[in-house]
Amino acid sequence: MAVALMLLAAGAIFLYAPTDALQGPVQRIFYLHVSSAVAAYGCFAVVLVGGIIYLRNESPAADRFARAGALVGVVFTSVTLVMGMLWAKPIWGVYWTWDARLTSTLVLWIIYAGYLLVRRLAEPGRQAARIAAIVGIFGFVDVPVVHFSVTWWRTQHPGPIVVNDALPAEMLATFLFTLGCTLVLAATLIAIRYRIETLIDARQAIAEPTKLVAAPQPGAAP
Amino acid sequence: MTYLVIAYAFAVALLGGYLIWSLRTLRELERKE
Repeated sequence: MAVALMLLAAGAIFLYAPTDALQGPVQRIFYLHVSSAVAAYGCFAVVLVGGIIYLRNESPAADRFARAGALVGVVFTSVTLVMGMLWAKPIWGVYWTWDARLTSTLVLWIIYAGYLLVRRLAEPGRQAARIAAIVGIFGFVDVPVVHFSVTWWRTQHPGPIVVNDALPAEMLATFLFTLGCTLVLAATLIAIRYRIETLIDARQAIAEPTKLVAAPQPGAAP
Repeated sequence: MTYLVIAYAFAVALLGGYLIWSLRTLRELERKE
């Protein structure tokens, strides 16, 4: 369903949305570029909530959701960054500039890529899960910095246009439809990754029962 | 126009590639289950 929705979104982007009078066809990058950024925020919110729940009650399910959210969030942040660079080149004349929005988005990517690296390199278990949860919670601080960077600082990146009613009706409808489809895709990818993490944990529990991410149950054999 | 095509080609390759890789990994793990 998520793939079918994304195909419909592609139809809306390339066939329904009008061509921008100033930028020309390259402005169509906007629809997936911004939708991917919002999807990434959502994925990192899953890491935040999963991390908080894990630190409170050591729920392995919360940890698995956090792991899934981080991976899918990094994928969507990569799409945002690369599409943004390919949009910047014909409009600004450069692929990259160290302005607040671009830099804070790159920092966001590095934080969660680091989170995934911690999960990959650290010995699986409660210690790694707790450290990753803390990284995931503090890493989320960068999300509002990314979002508000265009209003807090003078940036080359344009300010908010969707919330300021700066889009014509057809462009707004296309954007909102693409955003909805992208969020469904992100939720689907997180659900698939959650299932993968569940199966990996189950195998880990059989192979090395002492390295579970959950706290040992009272009365359980050591 | 070239940048538009490259941008969407990249997005399709990354998101599509990730989806296919995830489904393959899931099927492999479920088969071993």
